Amino acid sequence: MRAAIALAACGMLAAQSIDRTKPPETGPLRDFKLPATTDGTLPNGFKVVLVEDGRYPMVELRLGFFAGSRYDPADLPGLSETVASLVVEGTASRTARQFAEESAAIGAGISASSSSDSLIVTANSPSAQFGALLELIADMAVNASFPESEVRLRKQNRLEELKDQRSQPDVLANEKLHHVVFGRHPYSKTLPTEASIGKLDRAAILKFRDAYLRPNNAAMVLVGRFENTKTVWRMLEQKFGKWERKDPPTESKAEIPEPARSISLVDRPGSVQADIQMARVAIPRTHADWFPLVVANSILGGGTSSRLFNDVREKRGFAYNVHSEAEALRDSGIAGALMQVRNEVAEPAIRAMLEHFEKMGSERVTAQELSDVKNYLSGTFVLGLAKPSGVADQLLKTRLNGLTNAYLETYVDKIRRVEPDRIQAVSKKYFDPSRASIVVVGDAKAIKAAVEKVGPVTMDEAR
Amino acid sequence: MNALTGTLLAAAALLPSAAGAGLTIPFAKYRLGNGLRVILSRDTSAPVVAVYVIYDVGARHEEKGRSGFAHLFEHMMFQGSANAPKGVHFRTVEANGGDLNGSTHADYTDYFETLPSNKLPVALWLESDRMRSLAITDANLANQKEAVKEERRMRMDNRPYVTAIVDAFPKLVFQNWQNSHTMIGSFEDLNAAGTADVAKFFKTHYAPNNAVLVLAGDFEAAEAKRWIETYFADIPAQPRPKLPDTSEPAAAGPRWEKYDDKLAQVPGVIVSWPGPKRRSPDYYALSMLDAVLTAGNSSRFKLELVKGKESVVSVEANLGWPYGSARDYREPGVYSIFAVHKPAFTARQVVEQIGGEIDRIRKEGVPAKELARVKAYLESSAILELQGVMRRAAVLGQYEIFDGDPSFVNTEMDKLLAVGAEEVKAAAARYLTARRRSVLEIAVSPKKEGN
Repeated sequence: MRAAIALAACGMLAAQSIDRTKPPETGPLRDFKLPATTDGTLPNGFKVVLVEDGRYPMVELRLGFFAGSRYDPADLPGLSETVASLVVEGTASRTARQFAEESAAIGAGISASSSSDSLIVTANSPSAQFGALLELIADMAVNASFPESEVRLRKQNRLEELKDQRSQPDVLANEKLHHVVFGRHPYSKTLPTEASIGKLDRAAILKFRDAYLRPNNAAMVLVGRFENTKTVWRMLEQKFGKWERKDPPTESKAEIPEPARSISLVDRPGSVQADIQMARVAIPRTHADWFPLVVANSILGGGTSSRLFNDVREKRGFAYNVHSEAEALRDSGIAGALMQVRNEVAEPAIRAMLEHFEKMGSERVTAQELSDVKNYLSGTFVLGLAKPSGVADQLLKTRLNGLTNAYLETYVDKIRRVEPDRIQAVSKKYFDPSRASIVVVGDAKAIKAAVEKVGPVTMDEAR
Repeated sequence: MNALTGTLLAAAALLPSAAGAGLTIPFAKYRLGNGLRVILSRDTSAPVVAVYVIYDVGARHEEKGRSGFAHLFEHMMFQGSANAPKGVHFRTVEANGGDLNGSTHADYTDYFETLPSNKLPVALWLESDRMRSLAITDANLANQKEAVKEERRMRMDNRPYVTAIVDAFPKLVFQNWQNSHTMIGSFEDLNAAGTADVAKFFKTHYAPNNAVLVLAGDFEAAEAKRWIETYFADIPAQPRPKLPDTSEPAAAGPRWEKYDDKLAQVPGVIVSWPGPKRRSPDYYALSMLDAVLTAGNSSRFKLELVKGKESVVSVEANLGWPYGSARDYREPGVYSIFAVHKPAFTARQVVEQIGGEIDRIRKEGVPAKELARVKAYLESSAILELQGVMRRAAVLGQYEIFDGDPSFVNTEMDKLLAVGAEEVKAAAARYLTARRRSVLEIAVSPKKEGN
């Protein structure tokens, strides 16, 4: 049946009598079940997670490497992201053009990106073309060639993109914040520099590829409809079996500074808003404080019922966007909040945000807030897993962060068990106003005096 | 009984067949006594449900002196209603494990929630309460004017390119104020709006007979229909508002304007042509031409301009750009290409290169192999997009508002895939000519050059 079928004919639409003054009663949220996964490891150490999800005639593929920007040499920030952007631009046997044309011809989308910890290839194709997709992905993983012409073009375009990024206030604020919070740790670097782009060459890229794009330094997740699951494992052996294993170089340890209160002002002449971010170093998902922090963050500024949204935006009208974030990295994390406000209210807005930080640590959250936020986090977690792409993303996240399926299977339960005292304790630590690094990007002429009323300011010029 | 309860459909909502994309998204449509159109699209493959309400009003319905009002009004829809006072809408959706938002477009405004499926009645209660009894207060209006001004500062005034796109570009390509005014509004017009405007706009445009309610996801049809009847059926209908006159005088030949962008650091150029009538044969042909030119890594612009000539850094384009997509394109509309390019090239050179690629298609057409490739890519993209219940609900609702026929969710892709090489060639010749072209050159401010 493909056409609309009028339901009105069914009739019998007696309206129930209801009390409209109250929301309708509904049952509790239903339990969540992760679809069954099958894990396998090829002899070369390549780990693969397979999930049969027959709902759509498509396959989602994620290939993650422990090869994010933290592995960039100190003088080459931006190397990992360059490898990600060029890994789809040709192999030993396919030119960039052939690779692009072949993937489009099978209806596949293939892209790659790099974050602090990982380099992730995201792909999908119709189920009927899964073999062809796997062939392209394997060729890319094993034989990406990074042609000289593509490297040269990428460097040129990256310089223009960098100029563009630096014209955006939130990019500047995020960059500065990571510098202040992570000091000399590689997590401090969010962007390449003109110098590093200039210096980067094919030799550095090949060295990075040979060191990190290895089967034993990767994890792959496949979710979707497969014509025959048994043949999938055979295909994986065929296509990835000859990929040579090699242990990645040992990483040099770097210290993250103790969090301390500071205010940095990045001058952006002519800015019509102050972009304000405040944060401190936090924790990975494996830390015992993680679930209490997730709940605390959500109460403080996680959604439209959060304290920051309701006070800073809905009551005071200081901002359109105001929210808090608790971001986990593999070995650390960053927790804090951000907003963009008109210049005239920069000082009261910063004070308001700091007061909310303070209150999270000094008072217990209310029972209503807690029950609401637990439902919010549980419900939206399940919404995030509704599509095969969501399942693939979440499973890869576990495999790249030292977690197992249990993290996803018990997520809702762990959220439900968080107690108010723990929320207060972790808030006191991670939302401690006296340890928040504050970054303001804006027109110094217009806002410096106001920001200085909050505390001593270190000036910085936008590059 | 009907497609909604067919067990086959529980397993998969999309069953491609041999011909075309073969989408088979099930749905049923009916109308309440007050004129509210309802579309139910059941898919029990995940325990989630999307509730989507679309109103037949957008920025093009605004009156002179009230630019930005449709969007300001959208904000007011979250400020409380008779039984769900300020803050309750947000809190109730989230406390029931859901997500929500709303958005304002040139020709429609929508409001939506995604929830765990057993929470469906909560969303229906909220949506019906604000359709019936929006609370309009001075304090809420004053507060939302500030929020909207911060939104404008953050998303437009403090960023490169965006003021050129939202303020200058519509003025260049349209002459009728209904189409050419800025959608986010000027601060002056936002300040001038009062609660009487809000009340009038609500009564005129937010009636059940000017809206469509869509449910997509995991629900029982009979039960959902009972709830819908209970919550929505007694909201009174209103006279249907007059459609705005959006007619455009014949385009006055080629135009070229320069916009000095104080924030942009890399030059850009927007190239635009008046588009065809929605769902006319040329509409599909031009959509296909756009895909050949700009979709994905094997598109002409990526291979010939980003690579090849190495002039362009990035490209965005679609029929209707920057307002939405070809799906919510409504004439009078434009086909536009926005290219950010290297400073080593002038805007004129880039426009010529873009024209050169179009000329090549006009003269040589598109090889069959290339066209097949583009179609394979589009088909996959459509299936991926429609996997999400919220996108599915939105697409159904938009086809109902625009065309009165949600079945286009299944058939429009087939029409696009049926476009042949000759039609693409003809569309290039008919529409994308230099004579019909408008160009907005976005220049970087001189002092930042060569920094």
